[in-house]
Amino acid sequence: MGRYCNGEAGAFHQLYRLVAPKLLSYLLRMTRDYALAEDLLQLTFLKIHRARGAYVRGAEPLPWMYAIAHRTFLDEARKRKRSKVQLSRESSGLPEQHAHISGQAADQVTDTDDNSELTKAALAALDRLPAKQREAVVLTKLDGKSIAEAAAITGTTPGAMKVRAHRGYVALRKALASVEVP
Amino acid sequence: MSGQDQIDATLRALGHNNLPPPPLSAELEAELATIKPVKARRPLLRFALHCLVSIGYGAAILWLLKLRPDLGRLPTVWILVYCAAWLSGFLVLGWFALVPGRGNVMPNWRYAGIGAVFTAGGFIVAGLIFDRNVPNVSHLCNADAVELVAHGTVCLKWGLITATVPVLVGMLLIRGSIPVGSRWVGAALGAGGGSLGGLMLHLHCHNADPLHMGFVHGGVVVVAALLGALIIPRFTDV
Repeated sequence: MGRYCNGEAGAFHQLYRLVAPKLLSYLLRMTRDYALAEDLLQLTFLKIHRARGAYVRGAEPLPWMYAIAHRTFLDEARKRKRSKVQLSRESSGLPEQHAHISGQAADQVTDTDDNSELTKAALAALDRLPAKQREAVVLTKLDGKSIAEAAAITGTTPGAMKVRAHRGYVALRKALASVEVP
Repeated sequence: MSGQDQIDATLRALGHNNLPPPPLSAELEAELATIKPVKARRPLLRFALHCLVSIGYGAAILWLLKLRPDLGRLPTVWILVYCAAWLSGFLVLGWFALVPGRGNVMPNWRYAGIGAVFTAGGFIVAGLIFDRNVPNVSHLCNADAVELVAHGTVCLKWGLITATVPVLVGMLLIRGSIPVGSRWVGAALGAGGGSLGGLMLHLHCHNADPLHMGFVHGGVVVVAALLGALIIPRFTDV
């Protein structure tokens, strides 16, 4: 990040290769739409690029980048919520295509190792969680962030994050309890 | 492996799915083609600049308005402790808003928010409880509502005028850098500026009525914090 601030474009590409998969994975789980997640990723990196002067040398940039991705997702969600009301009459009525974690449409994914019944059910259950619980589960259980890190990324308190992660996890467990584990 | 362990393992496995990053957008490529070195943020330096400019400006306003006439006859300890409290409010809140914790890029908006709320409430309560006056020199409103409002409006105006520069300077120093929690950071910057305004009023205003000191001098912090929380995020969001 320091070299990137010094004006090395190569350092940006290195950073992008390192961080983009993580942010894309997070955005995909939050949006459930691969094309939208890609767009938000581009927007996130554009914001990071424009705000690179705000970086503090020696600091860990990843939570800041996650927070920018989170903010970008929230802005887009708000924008869509507003436009949904305006455009609802002209909506085609087609259901949103859900994406698998691999980026393919969920119903086109073939059976592979990481796509067991439990994985499919976990993804479906994750999709059904309220946005705040999903974000808490994604950050703490899937991405392995601590409660404090996840709270800092989403702009909430550790207490609230803990409650959301717990409720989301309980809901997931309940949903997955009926799935037969081979 | 128990069912719960299996669910945990499944969730972790989902998290380890590394997706290939898409190619960069044309807009980003274009910006990268003309990339220039930027100075990374130096929070301590910015905090020092914020303090220097703000305190200098506050002192200039005080010089313009003159010191309170009862200053020399009020208890020195009371004057000093109050001054220290107002100044601490300004410094601590400015620190929370401008200086991130070690290893972080973002300031700790939680501490900033908590600090803003406590400072605002604390100065109102302190003004109501710890009042001192010099008979026949300090001014007392004696529960005259009209007088309270008239004096209050003037003090609120000068308190907020004093808070303007600390808030503006702070806002410039963190513009476009806070993705989350900017409202709380804005409240802290506002409350910090309000504390400096309170310090200026403490040294200038000889109205020693507890209601005036609590609700007007302390009220400057509340109003500045609310204005900061409303306005600052527009400029500091990434």
